[in-house]
Amino acid sequence: MTATATPEDLGEVTVVRVFDAPRELVYACMTDPKHLTHFWGPTGVSTPIENITLDLRIGGVFETVMVNDATGDEYPSKGVFTEIAPPSVLAWEEPSGMANRSTFVDLGDGRTEVTIHQTNVPAMFRAPEARAGFNSSLDRFAAYLATQVG
Amino acid sequence: MDESQLDATFAALADATRRAILAKLAHGEVTVNELAQPFDMSLPAISKHLKVLERAGLISRGRNGQFRPCRLEADGLDVATDWIEHNRQIWTDRFDKLSAHLRELQKTPSTKGTPS
Repeated sequence: MTATATPEDLGEVTVVRVFDAPRELVYACMTDPKHLTHFWGPTGVSTPIENITLDLRIGGVFETVMVNDATGDEYPSKGVFTEIAPPSVLAWEEPSGMANRSTFVDLGDGRTEVTIHQTNVPAMFRAPEARAGFNSSLDRFAAYLATQVG
Repeated sequence: MDESQLDATFAALADATRRAILAKLAHGEVTVNELAQPFDMSLPAISKHLKVLERAGLISRGRNGQFRPCRLEADGLDVATDWIEHNRQIWTDRFDKLSAHLRELQKTPSTKGTPS
């Protein structure tokens, strides 16, 4: 099992992982609430199966409410499926415009490589210029954003 | 910055609406009414989001006047620059858990279905 984080371009995040499982099974895990509930919440966070709404068709919703195990705080997220091509591609878009596209590659030895590629990451979170703005003056940051946001 | 503050910040940033609110505030001070409009949300719903953002130190709200304009807090936002790293961490965690789940699935006889 390997985990690789590739350098991101402006506004993009890529996460790659190789799983020791056949592609159809990995794809099924990413598209079925009964599987998602086992892994969707990161460390310290759960996603009960009743908190997952998944309508697997183009334009169908993909909504989850993750729950902080310690505090009970809820973290809702919402997406709409934009691309569904089992067992190789799954993509959804968030209301902010951020797009998540996952590709599943059969490595031919029983393993599957999954790449999550996020694009249109909100401007304020992504650029070195924005970081400089955060770290020095808010004015500078606002000026930078004014050039980025319509 | 202590861990609980970091948690509060990331919890605040985990919500797409709150990220959009911050992006809007980057243009300058805005009243709650002005915020509610583009998001097509009720004032109480927006107020709830603003409370979370305020608690996380990402925004502050004026004490004077009935509209209590909101503005970004630069110090709190230092943490926000780490959002991309945090986001990457979420997927890394998910993939760790998915790996474990896949191992379980492949151990379990197919007739038995998904372990819980």
